[in-house]
Amino acid sequence: MSNFEFEEEEFTTQFNGRTVLRVLSQTRPHWKWVVGFMVTIAIVSALDSYFTVLSKRIIDEGIVAGNRAALVRIATTYGALIFVQAANVLGFIFLAGVLGERVQYDLRKRMFNHLQDLSFSYFDRTPVGWIMSRVTSDSERIAQLVTWGLLDVTWGTFNILTAIVFMLIINWKLALIVLAIIPILIVVAVQFKKKIIVEYRLVRRINSRITGAYNENVTGVRVVKALCREEENLREFGQLSSEMYRAAYRAAWLSALFLPTVQLISAVAVGGIVWYGGLQAQFGGMTVGGIQAFISYVTFMLWPIQDLARVYAEMQHAIASAERVFSLIDSVPEVSDYPGALDPGSIQGSIEFDRVDFYYEPGKPVLEDFSLTVNQGETIALVGPTGGGKSTIVNLLARFYEPKRGMIRIAGQDYTTLSLHAIQSRIGMVLQTPHLFSGPVRENIRYGRLDATDEEVEQAARLAGAHDFVVTLEKGYDDEVGEGGNLLSVGQKQLISLARAVLAQPEIFIMDEATSSVDTLTEALIQKGMELLIKNCTSFIIAHRLSTIKRADRILVIENGKICEMGSHTKLLRARGHYYQLYTRQFRRELELEYDSFVTSLGHSSP
Amino acid sequence: MAIAAPPRAFDLKRTISPNRLLGLWRMMSGFRLAYLGATLSLAVAAVSRTATYLLLRYFIDDVLSRGGFAGTLPLVALGFVGLALFGGVFTFLSGQLAARTAEGIVLRLRNYLFDHIQRLSFTYHDHIQTGELIQRSTSDVDALRRFFADQAIGLGRIALLFVINLAALLSLNWKLALLSVVVVPLVVLISIFFFVRVSKAYEAYQEQEATLSTTLQENLTGVRVVKAFARQAYERDRFEQENWEKFLRGRRLLLMHSLYWPVTDILCGLQMLAGFLTGALMAINGTISVGTYMAYAGMVIWIIWPMRNLGRLIVQTSTGLVSYGRVAEIIQEEREPLTEGQHSPKGDLRGEIIFRDLCFEYDTNSPVLKGISFGCQPGQVVALLGFTGSGKTSLVNLLPRFYEYTSGSVTLDGVELSEYPRYFLRQQIGIVEQEPFLFSRTIRENITYGVGRDVTETEIVAAAQSAAIHDVVAAFPNGYDTLVGEKGVTLSGGQKQRLVIARTLLKDPRILVSDDATSSVDAETEGVIREALERLMQGRTTFIIAHRIQSVMVADLILVLDKGQIVQQGTHEKLLAQPGIYRQIYELQTRVDFELEKEVSGVELRV
Repeated sequence: MSNFEFEEEEFTTQFNGRTVLRVLSQTRPHWKWVVGFMVTIAIVSALDSYFTVLSKRIIDEGIVAGNRAALVRIATTYGALIFVQAANVLGFIFLAGVLGERVQYDLRKRMFNHLQDLSFSYFDRTPVGWIMSRVTSDSERIAQLVTWGLLDVTWGTFNILTAIVFMLIINWKLALIVLAIIPILIVVAVQFKKKIIVEYRLVRRINSRITGAYNENVTGVRVVKALCREEENLREFGQLSSEMYRAAYRAAWLSALFLPTVQLISAVAVGGIVWYGGLQAQFGGMTVGGIQAFISYVTFMLWPIQDLARVYAEMQHAIASAERVFSLIDSVPEVSDYPGALDPGSIQGSIEFDRVDFYYEPGKPVLEDFSLTVNQGETIALVGPTGGGKSTIVNLLARFYEPKRGMIRIAGQDYTTLSLHAIQSRIGMVLQTPHLFSGPVRENIRYGRLDATDEEVEQAARLAGAHDFVVTLEKGYDDEVGEGGNLLSVGQKQLISLARAVLAQPEIFIMDEATSSVDTLTEALIQKGMELLIKNCTSFIIAHRLSTIKRADRILVIENGKICEMGSHTKLLRARGHYYQLYTRQFRRELELEYDSFVTSLGHSSP
Repeated sequence: MAIAAPPRAFDLKRTISPNRLLGLWRMMSGFRLAYLGATLSLAVAAVSRTATYLLLRYFIDDVLSRGGFAGTLPLVALGFVGLALFGGVFTFLSGQLAARTAEGIVLRLRNYLFDHIQRLSFTYHDHIQTGELIQRSTSDVDALRRFFADQAIGLGRIALLFVINLAALLSLNWKLALLSVVVVPLVVLISIFFFVRVSKAYEAYQEQEATLSTTLQENLTGVRVVKAFARQAYERDRFEQENWEKFLRGRRLLLMHSLYWPVTDILCGLQMLAGFLTGALMAINGTISVGTYMAYAGMVIWIIWPMRNLGRLIVQTSTGLVSYGRVAEIIQEEREPLTEGQHSPKGDLRGEIIFRDLCFEYDTNSPVLKGISFGCQPGQVVALLGFTGSGKTSLVNLLPRFYEYTSGSVTLDGVELSEYPRYFLRQQIGIVEQEPFLFSRTIRENITYGVGRDVTETEIVAAAQSAAIHDVVAAFPNGYDTLVGEKGVTLSGGQKQRLVIARTLLKDPRILVSDDATSSVDAETEGVIREALERLMQGRTTFIIAHRIQSVMVADLILVLDKGQIVQQGTHEKLLAQPGIYRQIYELQTRVDFELEKEVSGVELRV
């Protein structure tokens, strides 16, 4: 299945320098912020090391020398530096944090805006979930890397470097011995962090399977019960949850081992310092404070190293995120305005499909050599089996896709010379399963024309036959339709989207009728709403209802990407061909449905 | 199939307590020893760290200040390494034991919840929201895991560090020790205050993140509408608004952090400095030794700085308590007794069913079925006719004891239905729904789901052929191994229904319940499904929820239901002979053919 191409967590393992540079370049518009947090964190880091020097001086110059004045002097410096330190801490948290939010904001904005330009073909092959996680979690990971990641690296590096400098100043020979331990620490820490990250990723994967199992168990609980699958299900789930236990335990085990291991290595260094420093102290080569400073440096070296290792281990993951985000930003819309595309102000006129070929996937033609001329104001009903190419015809007309070969002319002009906006803003479309946006009814209708007044919205709703049911809603036009309009029935959603189309005052009207049964009353209202649009527009209707079909000026029976019959209702019925078959079958079904609702009304009337 | 549930070592119902802390304590049952071990190990590790500073004091005061110590030096050095090793072992042990406890408790909880959910009654599942239930079983369980793994032990860690180091400090010099903790209560208060505030700001931030995701998701799922109305600019504005709002909330959050950390930095830093200064002065005065001062300087860090995180832990712990309450609400629900009932005959059921004056209600005082009386012989077909809400589904749901009738009686082969264990009944009854639920498994697994025995490949293919689904499955590249659902193929309503027919054929129940609604299916498929169903019905007592006359005509007994009562019953011929709803419906049937003929001939007459 094509979905497997979009499996999460996959990423290239090699280090891609270009991607890294591009990730870093995300901060370019805000370079001052970057400089700001880098400088403040560098100061914080250097001060962290310097406080150790001050502690050493308190011991050597104050306590051991018995000098109270010196002690107070050093303590004053110490106290002043605490404030300098705090000011810089404030600086870096705010600068790096806000920059992180900003980079995320920028990335999301760019991705979203780009998504609006991408063509249908992109959305056909890319699952919504994939796009969602690019915009949400991947952008976050990139933002983290260029702010906190960069910050941790700066802090860690500076901290280690300044510590080394101070150690070299205090006693260069001992410093060199200690230096030997740093690479060991780094290697061990990096290896640990890498393994820990792999383990936690495994835990996350199993966890999402556990969520899936719960999901199925809850949503499918009636089937589970009806089929007595409880024992078997529990056994299966038990395996999964035990797997989770093992993975989580292993990850925790490794994490628990990390700190003691690193601490043990630094303890060896501390032992060395005590030994060598003690010997040196005999000959005055080392002060008590000096030994104290060394021990401090080595003991707390653990933190910068841990940070460096973590950033390094996470970087791979973040780079993979970046690659996916950039792949979205870099994808080119397949349908877009050609240079010099214009908006003639109106697209009224005849519509002509001239020997059009189209396919979604190469080698699987949907339309072949398709030609059709439709006069201004004509109503075309498209009928025929699913997959025959009816939707493709209207999708091409709306220029969601463009012909692979051949040409579509609107008012005699190749429609690719027009701008997309010129065409699409003048098409009114009602889909089979109408999509509404969460928000009030009013806003959903207004979507057809954004500057419409409340009166115009209600007027459109009246014309479309939606008004009557809208006013019965609890809050009328201010009633929430729910996510995707799910609080309304399919018929109601269609009425709203008809009103939306009416408000848009389109020049071309496209409607895909719902196949699922809508109650008789709503159905009549929908028909009435359509009437108005059909009267004013050139209309293409993918029709399922006989009343709609009969009303069309011309009926096209589409099969296998070709027009296999065309003409008026009476002409086609007389021919006793495909259309006749289709018609009689539908006739039967509709009447049967009708007396189903008759059952309903009878049931209500009888006591 | 094993009917009896395996003995459960620990019933989590016993952990329920209105006192949530007590409830959490009970939930630890069986792991308390390990948890105690984790806490003790933590204490040992803290003691060994404190001992390191005491060793440092010994090194400075008793080794360095006396000459001729070349022999003791290596021992002291080894002492440092030894203490680190000793402490490290216990740090690891503590982490490992804590992980074992937390993961163990959660493993038990997950398994219990999973099983519990599938054993709760239909009434419970009717009322609970699916999303809510899944959320509680995943997110809230994870919150409990964090409570046991991090928060409880984290609070213990801070407390132990404080107590042990303070004790050591007190033994060094009690005045100095008390002076060093002056600021601690203040830091704790500020910390709690801050984290309570910040967790609210964080919630607001997360909420906005969710809003942003929803906006994105709606844009992606509604991409056809967006493009059809050329509303890209409008969508960009909408996203921009939400995106910017999130940036603002993020910035507010960071501002809070960037104030908290420096302020506490200053507080803790000045406290340390005050301690250093006093200690140093005492050392100069000779009140304490240099070594004591150095030990003090090392230990005091572990008292002051961890306090800054106390507020976070306390806030997080409170979310753990809330999660406990939410999970406990599920656990305290009563399970459906599946094996209760003394009559489970060894041989096959005959399938004779008699209803006598049966009444049923979901909620008290709103009867759904009233005075239902009818009987059917083994192998007969009973058709239920009536409009939505007339009680058809409620009636058949009583047969597998999904719900319990309130009064009257139903006998199966002469034995009252409530004498049969639910498990037994459900194995004997097959249900084919209108739009069946399938699991995200392979087609093969879906066909054999709940069949309860090993099924050979030949049997599966034979069942699929009989259900007229084999050809559809064989056309998939992976055949019977094709995944159904999100990551695999999407099956149409009719295909799902046939898959379930195949499953039911394999299950081979004595009683069959089916829903013949085929409104979402085209006419050809409809015929195929009907034939498959008829094959399945052979030799089984069948209840059909009928939506059309064709299914009713083959029935041995037709029940016309209205408002929970049987208004007409009998065979097709008998009902046709008497005036009533049934005859009126039937007469419409003949009108269909008549009108169709009229329409077609009318067209031809006009030639």
